Amino acid sequence: MDITRAKIRDLRKALDSKEISAAELCGEYFRNIEAGDGKVQSFITVTKEKALEMAANAQKRIDSGDVSPLTGIPLAIKDNICTDGVKTTCASKMLENFIPPYDATVIEKLNAEGYVLLGKTSMDEFAMGGSTQTSAFAKTKNPYDLERVPGGSSGGSAAAVSASFAPAALGSDTGGSIRQPASFCGVTGIKPTYGRVSRYGLVAFASSLDQIGPICSDARDCAIMLNAICAHDPHDATSARQPVPDFTEKLGQSVSGMKIAMPKEFYSDDIDDEVKSHVMNAAKVLESQGAQLVECSIPGLKYAIPAYYLIACAEAASNLSRFDGIKYGFRGEGRTFEELIRDSRSKGFGEEVKRRILLGNYALSSGYYDAYYKKALALKQQIIKEYNDVFDKADVILTPTAPTPAYKIGVQDNDPVKMYLADICTVTVNIASLPGISTTCGYTAEGMPVGMSVIGRRFDEQTILQCADAFEQTFAPTAPKF
Amino acid sequence: MAVELKTIQHLCELSKLNYDEAGLEKVMGEMGDIIDLMDTIKSFDLTYDDTKDNNSISLQEVREDIAQPSFPTEKLLANAENTGSCYVVPKVVE
Repeated sequence: MDITRAKIRDLRKALDSKEISAAELCGEYFRNIEAGDGKVQSFITVTKEKALEMAANAQKRIDSGDVSPLTGIPLAIKDNICTDGVKTTCASKMLENFIPPYDATVIEKLNAEGYVLLGKTSMDEFAMGGSTQTSAFAKTKNPYDLERVPGGSSGGSAAAVSASFAPAALGSDTGGSIRQPASFCGVTGIKPTYGRVSRYGLVAFASSLDQIGPICSDARDCAIMLNAICAHDPHDATSARQPVPDFTEKLGQSVSGMKIAMPKEFYSDDIDDEVKSHVMNAAKVLESQGAQLVECSIPGLKYAIPAYYLIACAEAASNLSRFDGIKYGFRGEGRTFEELIRDSRSKGFGEEVKRRILLGNYALSSGYYDAYYKKALALKQQIIKEYNDVFDKADVILTPTAPTPAYKIGVQDNDPVKMYLADICTVTVNIASLPGISTTCGYTAEGMPVGMSVIGRRFDEQTILQCADAFEQTFAPTAPKF
Repeated sequence: MAVELKTIQHLCELSKLNYDEAGLEKVMGEMGDIIDLMDTIKSFDLTYDDTKDNNSISLQEVREDIAQPSFPTEKLLANAENTGSCYVVPKVVE
C-alpha cells in the first residue's frame, strides 16, 4: 500500500504501531513532492530541513507515549498563514522575502500537537482569485488535468492533498477559497463558522469574512483537523467564546430524518448540467439513507456577487493599506514620501489585487458609500435572514460547490467579471458566517471531479461533517494520474 | 458603464497606485465592467439597519487591557532593510 494515500487516522495507527517512523513518513511525502511538484507547482516553499527536525521531535513524543492526534503528521500550510521563521509570501511580490516573527494561533495549536510542516502552499495573490493563477510564484495546476486550474485561492493546498504531497493542509476561505479548490481537485474542505477558528496570524484579506479551515481527503480527517485548530483566542476579538465539541462525535451516525434543503436558485440554468446532475444524484443517495429533501428558496442569491465583492473589496482596500514599502515588504523608489509609497504598491501588487483595491475605495468613497457599501450591508442582513428562514425547516443545505468543474488555464484570465461570477455558489456562506463543507460527489465525462457543498447552522459543523461523511461512505473516489 | 478618467485617477490617488497610459486605459475598461456588475445591487430595495448586525452572536469580546510580552526587537527588524538596531528608511521619509 502507498502510505501517502492513507488518511490521517491510518497514519496515526502506523506511527503509533511503529510501522513507520515520523521521519520516514515525512520522507515519503518529500519523495512525492520532488517527483511531482515540478508539474503541479503546489508549493511556494518546501521546508525539508525543518520538517526533519520537527519529525525527530514528534518521534520522541511517540516513543514516550505522549501522543496527540496530529503528532508526527506532515501537513502543508497555505502561504498566508504566518509561520515563525518560515517565509510567508501571500504569493505576492510585495511579501516575497517576508519572514514572520511569530506563529499564527492555528500554527501554535498544530505545534502543540507535534505536527510536521512540509511547506507553504501557493495561492492566489493575497487570496484574491479562484484559480491560483494570480500567484506571483507558483501557478498551480490541477492534478486531474495539468491544463486546468486547481481552483483557488487555496489551490496549492487542495492540489497538494489531491496529489498526495500531503495528507492534509490548511487553507483560508473568504468567499469559497477552501471549498471551491477542494471541489476542483477532488478532495474535502471545510470552512468553519466565522469565529470558530482564530484568524490571528492569517494575513487579512476581508476581516469580516476570512476563516481558516482544513483541506483533507475526507470529512473524517477534516474533523480531526478541526479538533486541533478550533478554540477561542484572546488575540482575535472576533474569535467566538463557543464551546468546542468533538467534531468526530456524529461521524458514522445515520442521516435518517435529517432534513436537507435544496434552494432552487442553486440549481438554475447558470449551473453546468453535469454538475447539477451529480449533486442531485448525491441528494438521492442521502434520501435513500433516510434523509428528507426539502425545497426552499434563497432569493438574495441574485445579488450575492455584488454584495460580496463590495464588502470584501472595501475591507481589502483598508487591510492592504498597510503595505507601503516602509517597514517591511517590497520597496520601490521615489523622490518623495508619496512617490515611494505609490511606486512600492504599484510594483509590489499584481493586477487583480490592484483592481480589488480600486473597487474597494470606489465603494467607500464619498458619494458612492450609501449606494454601494451600505446597500451591500443591507443585502448581507437579508441573506442572513433568508438562511435563518431555511434553517427553520431544514438541518442542512445542499448545493453545488461551483457552477462548473475545473476549467482550462487561461479561460478567465482576462475577464474579471466572469471570474467573480464563478463564485456564486460559495460567497453567501461567508456573508452569513455559516459553516460549509465541500466533498466530491462525482466525475465529469472528462474525468474532472464535481463537488457538492453541505451548509449548516452557525457553529453546527458536526452535522455537516456527519452528512458529508454519510455520502462519502457510499462513494469511491478516483485518484488523479498526472 | 464607462468609468471616467478623472474617477479612475481619483481612485488611484486614494489607493496610492500608479498606472502608465496603457495600463490606465486597460483598467478603465475593466473597472467599467466590474462597476456594471456592482450596479445590479441598486435594484435591491432595502435599507441597512446597523442594529441587526451579528445576529445575536457576540463576536467583539476584547481581551483585558493588560500588556503582554512583545516580540524580540531583532526578530521584528529581520524584515526591515539594512538594519542596525533600528528601521532604516529611505532619505525621503526621514
